[in-house]
Amino acid sequence: MTSACWLAIYLPRLATDRLIRSGRGPAEDRPLAIYAKEANGFLLTGVDARASSLGLRLAMSLADARAMQPGLAAVEAEPAEDALALDHIAAWCERFTPIVVVDAPDGLFLDIAGCAHLFGGEEALRDQIARRLLAQGFAVRAALAPTPGAAWALARFAREPSPPLRGRGQGEGGRSGRGANGAVLLYPDRPPPPAPSPQGGGGDLVQSLAPLPIEALRLDEAAASLLNRLGLKTIGQVLRAPRSSFTARAGERAMRRLDQALGRAPEVLTPRRPAPPVFALRRFLEPLFSVETMLIATEALCADVIEKLERRGAGVRRAQLHLFGVDGRDRVIEIGVSRPEREVKPLLRLFREKLGQAADNLDAEFGIEAARLDVVQMERVEGAARSLVAVEAGQASAEKIAAIVDVLSARLGVKRVLRPKLNDMHAPEKAGGWSAALGKQEVITLAPPPDGVMRRPLTVFAQPQPIETLASVPDGPPIRFRWRRVLREVTRAEGPERISGDWLGGAPTRDYYRVEDKQGRRYWLYREGFYGESDEAPRWFVHGLFA
Amino acid sequence: MAGQPLHEVGPAGPGGETAALGFTLALAASWAGPAAVFWAGEAAAFAEEGAPYPVGLARYGLALDRLIVVRAKKREEALWAAEQALAAAGAVVICALGARGKPLDLKASRRLLLFAERNGSRCVLLQPANGPSAAWTRWSIAPAPSDAEAGELGPPTFRAELTRNRGGPSGRAFVLDWNAYERDFAERMQEKCEAVFRPQARHA
Repeated sequence: MTSACWLAIYLPRLATDRLIRSGRGPAEDRPLAIYAKEANGFLLTGVDARASSLGLRLAMSLADARAMQPGLAAVEAEPAEDALALDHIAAWCERFTPIVVVDAPDGLFLDIAGCAHLFGGEEALRDQIARRLLAQGFAVRAALAPTPGAAWALARFAREPSPPLRGRGQGEGGRSGRGANGAVLLYPDRPPPPAPSPQGGGGDLVQSLAPLPIEALRLDEAAASLLNRLGLKTIGQVLRAPRSSFTARAGERAMRRLDQALGRAPEVLTPRRPAPPVFALRRFLEPLFSVETMLIATEALCADVIEKLERRGAGVRRAQLHLFGVDGRDRVIEIGVSRPEREVKPLLRLFREKLGQAADNLDAEFGIEAARLDVVQMERVEGAARSLVAVEAGQASAEKIAAIVDVLSARLGVKRVLRPKLNDMHAPEKAGGWSAALGKQEVITLAPPPDGVMRRPLTVFAQPQPIETLASVPDGPPIRFRWRRVLREVTRAEGPERISGDWLGGAPTRDYYRVEDKQGRRYWLYREGFYGESDEAPRWFVHGLFA
Repeated sequence: MAGQPLHEVGPAGPGGETAALGFTLALAASWAGPAAVFWAGEAAAFAEEGAPYPVGLARYGLALDRLIVVRAKKREEALWAAEQALAAAGAVVICALGARGKPLDLKASRRLLLFAERNGSRCVLLQPANGPSAAWTRWSIAPAPSDAEAGELGPPTFRAELTRNRGGPSGRAFVLDWNAYERDFAERMQEKCEAVFRPQARHA
């Protein structure tokens, strides 16, 4: 087992903190509680620090609470808003690690194994996150453990707190800090050392979990009541009880939770975003403000990921640069390349394009405090080493063309840099099209006809343009026609080429003619339907133009 | 003409836009050989005369597997895209401007020339408006009637007038047929113009 390290974050007063933070809290001295309608009436589901210090508790009925504290400000629960706030916090946490798991309704898991060293170690990272959440007005408890289950348990139930950390925002700014003030806050726990092995049981981990109540095992109701019936109150008691007493399904679930907490059974968590296979993260001692300094940081990140990819024999296909602002926002810049890229410079060039474009929208007035480069798509590099790419003398290599396509697509957008595409369709408008040039693709081409005569136009109108025919013979091309208010006299015409309505998706059959006017201009005309098919004269259109 | 990397094409008058486009594409096809063709145009350049049609372009002699079209929103973006594309040695870059705008300023055309010279690529500037430019030649193009049997349409045909020529006299006009199969022009009249148009190694 790797020494995976999990940080569990618990926001015990998320609902009230959120309200107070957004200025919807009650006047300074009134306690705040959140209530929701339950089967047996309105019950409190959240209390702020003041309400808690006045003796209000969760699951108390709203009527009782009001009787106890007539000044109580009660707000109905808004679970969707709370979930949104939790997600925002999770997004903010992505500046510390890409692997953030939302643990609804009031917790998060962060996998910090790969990035704690950037923040001065696991404990320093835990303290920094907790302190900053506190400063933002959220009561928080945070704990480190080798498993998510143990971290979860410790964050919620560990008894021996270190002295609460005081966030900078507290006490000085009035309301914003109020929710976080006072009773709860931050109890950082000493991280137990990594579990020695899955089977080994992890003595230290057992020791720190043993005194915790069984609720710390994340049990469902049935499992909790089973343990209660067995008279087991703490995890230590459960550990000492014979396993044979847990034969019921509920008991098995309890055991599984216990094993997960101890690292004896795997636990699969789904991060908020899929974890990138490769990433690099940097944080800055001083916030970055200019695009130039961001580019220097980006160059370092590119070098980091390319080094990691090199070991896997892969290159970058798609990458996302996350710029984490001091303002809490995450700006994402994504680039894609047509071939797996293993050099820093071309990647940096793409980022320079995108950053230059985004410069006005970065809103980096408070600066960027951290940046992460995620390789969201990588690809094995085939064949020879990169330095051995053969270049035909005097002609740009396919790699060079692809690199240009990458740069153009990055700045102008993939929908503006196009390659032709032929389709095996009879309807002329479907026989050829355009698709994004970015990405690997086979393009089929056609040879020019040996007689040099063009039977298909250079350009077509997306909407064939109706024309007014002034003289025509039945089943023949017009002799004169008016298009764009100019009268055109037909001197030569070839056709018809019949394209059946079946090929046109049931539209009327078309008879196409290639015609030339007196000046030598050439048109691709068609007649819709047949003469005599209906009382109306058939309609004519210009569909395309020839040189 | 063969040795110079920047040339300019425009319609001789209203109704000559498709002919000018056809002449430009023919130049690109004849010069490109196995190299790539980039066609970077501002939105207005693709609007009036219909959208490029891949089937027709392939039959016209443009290899679709080496063709990249850039539909830029603005003129500056089209110019920028053309400059980027000119970094590909050997490539032919068409920079197409719309009919409504002002002619390209001299400085912008000098930049195209510079990029092409530095990288061994070529550029055809397709711009309806005529103005001062760093291009070696400017060709005014009008359609010309077919020369084929009565009632038949022959190969694409142009009346091409050399309205500006840094390397010699201007004002001469040619009637040219485009042979898509050979990827070469043939002059209708007696005068030979192969020396003008035949693709050659630029540094030969």
